[in-house]
Amino acid sequence: MARSVKHSVNRPPTPDEDVRDSPERDELTLGEIINIKLVESGEKENLMELVRDRLVESGWKDEMRIACREHVKKKGRKDVTVDELIRVITPKGRASVPDAVKEELLDRIHNFIRSAAL
Amino acid sequence: MSNAEDNKSSHDQLSSQVFLDLVDSVIADVASECHRVARLGLDRDLEVVEEELRLSVEARAKVADPSNNLETNTKYVVDIFGQSHPPVATEVFNCMNCGRQIVAGRFAPHLERCMGKGRKARAKATRSTTASQNRNSRRNTSDNNQLASGPPGFEENVRKA
Repeated sequence: MARSVKHSVNRPPTPDEDVRDSPERDELTLGEIINIKLVESGEKENLMELVRDRLVESGWKDEMRIACREHVKKKGRKDVTVDELIRVITPKGRASVPDAVKEELLDRIHNFIRSAAL
Repeated sequence: MSNAEDNKSSHDQLSSQVFLDLVDSVIADVASECHRVARLGLDRDLEVVEEELRLSVEARAKVADPSNNLETNTKYVVDIFGQSHPPVATEVFNCMNCGRQIVAGRFAPHLERCMGKGRKARAKATRSTTASQNRNSRRNTSDNNQLASGPPGFEENVRKA
């Protein structure tokens, strides 16, 4: 890399300007495109809010918090890290989402993808 | 038409991906929140549970240990049925405030902490009363000093006016 200046903060080099709007970047996967459209249209925000509300209503969040507390009790509260907690509750979290909530969300996402005309 | 089917299955896959992404975000939020509560010690129940468990075990051990009571045998009241009661009540029941299992003999100190220290309310209360007491006493002494030096200044001002 030509830029060998020492920075106090390690960060990747700023991308060159011409690459930003380049249409030749076929490296964007379909998933990434969808994600961008979701964010740009504001639908992602709506979906996040919907997911949060539904998961709180159904008591899923409380179950997750209990699981976290159990783990913290075991490990001792001073040693615990966020990554560890995420690692511990993710499998259970993903599995215990109520079917109705999952259906509702998938439905909305489906509709969005279809209407995004892809 | 296979094209539509292919489209649908890839749509399904995409949807699942998006959905999982959303769920992961919420999981991360919950983990972050719990981590914060744990590290800041905001979850009183966590530390207190360990402390009270220890104290209950201590209390029960003290009661169960016979050698302990030989000297304090006078405290053993023998009732008319010939039953003796241990000095520390050993029965375990559920606290009506927080729902935890408490040894009866340790119930009073437990309630003290359970009801009084809910949100450091007890510390706050003592802080406010001692602070106001200090303020009052300080004010009294300073007033006395001023009274001694007050009149001359006052008379001077009156003369100027």
